[in-house]
Amino acid sequence: MANEQTSVPLFAASEVLTAANMNLSAGTGVPVFATTVTRDAGFGGANEKVLAEGQLCYLSSTNVVQYYDGAAWATVGPATADALVRVGGGSLSGSATTFSNVFSSTYDAYKIVITNATPSANAYSSMTLGSTTTGYVNFQSAVKNTGAYDAGFGGQGTASWAMMFAQTVTIGTSFDIVNPNLAIKTYVSGGSLIDAANNAFGTTYGILNNNTQYTAFTLTQSSGTITGTVNIYGYALS
Amino acid sequence: MTTPQIRIIDGDTVIDRDMNADELAVHKAIQDGAKTQAKAQADAAIARQAVLDRLGITADEAALLLG
Repeated sequence: MANEQTSVPLFAASEVLTAANMNLSAGTGVPVFATTVTRDAGFGGANEKVLAEGQLCYLSSTNVVQYYDGAAWATVGPATADALVRVGGGSLSGSATTFSNVFSSTYDAYKIVITNATPSANAYSSMTLGSTTTGYVNFQSAVKNTGAYDAGFGGQGTASWAMMFAQTVTIGTSFDIVNPNLAIKTYVSGGSLIDAANNAFGTTYGILNNNTQYTAFTLTQSSGTITGTVNIYGYALS
Repeated sequence: MTTPQIRIIDGDTVIDRDMNADELAVHKAIQDGAKTQAKAQADAAIARQAVLDRLGITADEAALLLG
């Protein structure tokens, strides 16, 4: 990398400054090093700056900015790439909303967060992947705040996963989906089943029994329409 | 009858349109699944109440027995 340097120069009194000297000085306000090894070797040697508190540097190997606190180097901001990286989202509208090109080989697992969701009717929000309409297995468990909930949330058939249920109340929820872009079965967990009339709440678990690699998903209402906001994040692999 | 609307979000591009035939089929399958489940729940509630009536106890009393 053009910005990487191997020393931080120190000029002597009456020394003739060459164009190269000046270019280096002007172009490297924050010295850029390839690694922590070249960083450490860049200070304190002959004609090099003595490392002191407040020194900044950038490491191209890990893409981080560091500062020296007088005793050790510390990283500014997250030490590694963000754990959750937003890959898509938008506003729910109508009877269904498709989120295209959100799953990729960059991530194996994703978190889908739904906020301020308001259905127009008592309904499920069901999830499908790509154009697949078979092979979904869905289990939902629910309890009331006063004990067992026996209304029998169950599967919604094999055409989709039922991820959210609300009785015209505004809700929020999140769920994780694992392996959607891998050529293995896809799993989902989380969601929110809310029966406000009975103070019942629950979660859903599902599997899609195929090895298809998906890039998109759709949320479809079993009745009426829905508004709300969806944000989709990828879990960093390391 | 108005055709159900679908929104397609791809990055910053948002398209709102009528559902096509494939999307309508998915929509109908999800509607049918919800109706089937609602009927199963209603049938189970009727059957449960019939048992409670035969036993002469309330649902809360039954829950106490089973708890």
